[in-house]
Amino acid sequence: MEQTMLEIDVDAAHRAHQQRMMILRVANILFYLVLVAAVAGFIYYVYSNLALINTYFIYLLQAAGLTIGLSAVSMILAVIFGFLGAMGRLSRFAPVRYLALLYVEVVRGTPILVQLLLWYYGVGYTLSNLGFDPYTVAFNALTPLQENSIVPLAFSAFFYGVIGLSFNYGAYLTEVFRTGIESVDRGQSEAALSLGINSRQTMRKIVLPQAIRITIPPFTNYFITLIQDSALLSVLGVTELEQTMGSFAYPLIDPNQKLFLFIFGALIYFAICYPLSLLARYFESRFARAY
Amino acid sequence: MNLAIQLLPQFLLGALNTVIYCVVSFPLALLIGLLLAVMRGSRIAWFRTPSKIFIEVMRGTPIITQIFLVYYGLGAVLANYNLSVYDNAWTAGIAVLALNYSAYEAEVFRAGFLSVEAGQTEAALSLGLNSGQSFRRIVLPQAIPLMIPPFVNDFIYMLKDSAIVSVISGTELTSVLDIYVFRFGSERLPLYVLAIVLYLILSLPTSYVARTFERRLRAAL
Repeated sequence: MEQTMLEIDVDAAHRAHQQRMMILRVANILFYLVLVAAVAGFIYYVYSNLALINTYFIYLLQAAGLTIGLSAVSMILAVIFGFLGAMGRLSRFAPVRYLALLYVEVVRGTPILVQLLLWYYGVGYTLSNLGFDPYTVAFNALTPLQENSIVPLAFSAFFYGVIGLSFNYGAYLTEVFRTGIESVDRGQSEAALSLGINSRQTMRKIVLPQAIRITIPPFTNYFITLIQDSALLSVLGVTELEQTMGSFAYPLIDPNQKLFLFIFGALIYFAICYPLSLLARYFESRFARAY
Repeated sequence: MNLAIQLLPQFLLGALNTVIYCVVSFPLALLIGLLLAVMRGSRIAWFRTPSKIFIEVMRGTPIITQIFLVYYGLGAVLANYNLSVYDNAWTAGIAVLALNYSAYEAEVFRAGFLSVEAGQTEAALSLGLNSGQSFRRIVLPQAIPLMIPPFVNDFIYMLKDSAIVSVISGTELTSVLDIYVFRFGSERLPLYVLAIVLYLILSLPTSYVARTFERRLRAAL
């Protein structure tokens, strides 16, 4: 009988496949050994520059705390800006809608660096010519409490830097809030209104709780990006982590020490942002499941 | 106002430099990102883990830290070996923009590959194509149209992030703005308005094109 079936030697193919899998497993185990050696090598590299770390670590840690504090304050202000923007985008009045649209489009279309420069060197300069200086205001406000020495000289830069960051992220959060609110099915608010609940209570008790499920996951991502963008405040002279790291690194003459300090600063940023990104991924998977 | 009109040619040159930075860095970022994405999906740990580490580190550190590290840190080390010719704002800026954005593009590629139905790969493999052929001929052509809107969005982000080279003395629109604000201190607000308008001219048409493309793509699906 003629065989029209393809003759495949199943056993030989199976054995060859098992051999390839074994080679792959051995190669992977070899890699993990090399990885452990590389991590040990990196720890040795950090350890060999211990003198440098001992000199600067406490200042870098203080600056990192300042960075996180700055970012937290900016995030809170950005939420306020974003909420106002979202309410403006969804307003009944066309001029308010167009103003909010202008805000979102202009702020999202220009670099954050230009916006920070505009806030400090543009708005700050103009306002200080008109007599308003955040440093003197804070200094005079704290004088009765006899705490005015804690106001740093660069306080104006802090002030306008935080406002600039919040203004920028407020535009992005406007879109997040708006999509969240619009994503709640219109039938919900229609049913609520037809049941006699007035429109403000509908928003507060029906729409917003459901909108929050869509809006929370991007938040941690924006907070991580905000911490990274707070490094831009170093351009305004604010002594946060990036500025402190740079000011320690520039005077160093030995290029290896200089490179090490930059790597160490980047490592601190990574140590702040990586756990937050793991948290963000957890939130995304947690909120992807409906109630 | 007259000052803004007088300085318009310099601002336009700065905007041209912005576009040059982005047009050179973005294709590099796409290529490196594709390589990273393919490495990340590999079964071989030698490719997968370094790619994962690279993507996490690039996304977890600010771009200004990375550019300082490359321009000043690596620059000092290069000067030690008499290779300073490679350490200028152009090479550092393009290298950092490309490497930083390649991490984000790798994530977009990965999402694109995952969005093609698994059934397509299964059918291709059961028809006798090996995994490389099924990737090149089945998965990739279907994934590319889905990935174009995120790529255009990332290009717009890069147009704005290219402002970062102004802190390492690169000649970009932001640095032109800086120079003239410093020189003409008392009439600075119109210069800021001019820079903002130029950035909007660069980014708004691109985002409009992206949104039209996205709408047509969603209608086609």
